[in-house]
Amino acid sequence: MGAAGLLPGFFKTTLMKPIRWIFIFIALLTGIGAGLAYGWVIDPVEFFDLTPDTLSPDYKTDYVLMTAEAYRLEQDPGTAARRLAIFGAQSPSAIASEALDYARENAFPNSDVVLLQELVTAMQAWSGIIQ
Amino acid sequence: MKRFPWWQLGVLLALLAGLGLGLAYAWIIFPQRFTASNPALLRADFKDQFRSVIAASYAATDNLTRAQVRLALLGDNDLIGSLNAQAQRMIANGEFIQADQLAALASALESGAGLPAQITPTLENFEPVTAEPSITPIPSPADLPFVMTETSEIIETRTTGTQAVPNTATPRPTQTPLPTRGAPFRLVGQDTVCDPNLPDGLLQVVVFNSNRRQLAGVKIVITWDTGGEEFFTGLKPELGNGYADFLMFPDTSHAIQLALGSEIAVNLIPPTCQTPSGEDFLGGYKITFQQP
Repeated sequence: MGAAGLLPGFFKTTLMKPIRWIFIFIALLTGIGAGLAYGWVIDPVEFFDLTPDTLSPDYKTDYVLMTAEAYRLEQDPGTAARRLAIFGAQSPSAIASEALDYARENAFPNSDVVLLQELVTAMQAWSGIIQ
Repeated sequence: MKRFPWWQLGVLLALLAGLGLGLAYAWIIFPQRFTASNPALLRADFKDQFRSVIAASYAATDNLTRAQVRLALLGDNDLIGSLNAQAQRMIANGEFIQADQLAALASALESGAGLPAQITPTLENFEPVTAEPSITPIPSPADLPFVMTETSEIIETRTTGTQAVPNTATPRPTQTPLPTRGAPFRLVGQDTVCDPNLPDGLLQVVVFNSNRRQLAGVKIVITWDTGGEEFFTGLKPELGNGYADFLMFPDTSHAIQLALGSEIAVNLIPPTCQTPSGEDFLGGYKITFQQP
């Protein structure tokens, strides 16, 4: 009779007992949950060749701080703005302001906060000039 | 006859199907948005930009420890090599200021005085360094007073005002190859020279183009611990259009490279040589650059 002969048994045992459909549904949800947990938490997609806007805020802030350190010596707002443009569409003054906020919230040394403040001021002035 | 366990098979299949759907969603349809990456994962050109800004920051602050921690975040296996390679690329692109800053940082790291042996920052433990290390900064080449040097050799000139000019054919000008911007020059030779007839600590440099013809007018940058200078090929044409030389300081490490962009010859300390009679004298080097 082969497999076809077993089908009536399948319908009898499965279709006629709705509670088993519930088990199957629960198994499906469990599988989806396990797949999501594995794919998002345990073994997420590995990224490389990323753009700087994906950096965590502490690295972004440190980059802006480096720009501020260089700016204090160079006093060239154009170069500083070009360095900050690495983060994409935001204006240089907004990028610098975000870094300043982060530095204040995370208790950066006062000397660093002062540098960032100088950069923010310079970027705001520079943005005003080029507009 | 025992019944086939259809519903249990159905549960298993549902579990596997769910797992597959979950993975497809997590890996393909909606992978976790990456908003907390670190500099090591950046694309190569953004890493270059990072290195440039680190070098600019170092030029402004002289904080070598901080610069090293920041460089380590980029995940380069060879920090100094990466800096030097980028410096050469920037020289080739005409970005001399940034190249100087990168080379100065590489040089400072190479000397590495007062630095901890190994710094391995991680995302968890990285914090901006606040302690000011007591490091005596090495001046960057950009800050060094560059002095044009001329060869001390006296060039004899003849005045012909009162002499009869012989009726000879006017010599045709010969074409002297000039340096052109292209691929960085390669350091193809670095030989120790122990010749008692040469001045002590003589550094001889010969520059060839890709056709193995000597190039005149090539600017050479030499740096040492406390200073630096520039000199040019072609000032002693009797020794070759691509020849230049420099007297090194005793017991001092020198590094030279071509301003057009080249590999860097480093650790050039005048060697101690002996004459056949057993007397010590300072030898020199012969450095050869060639455009590939």
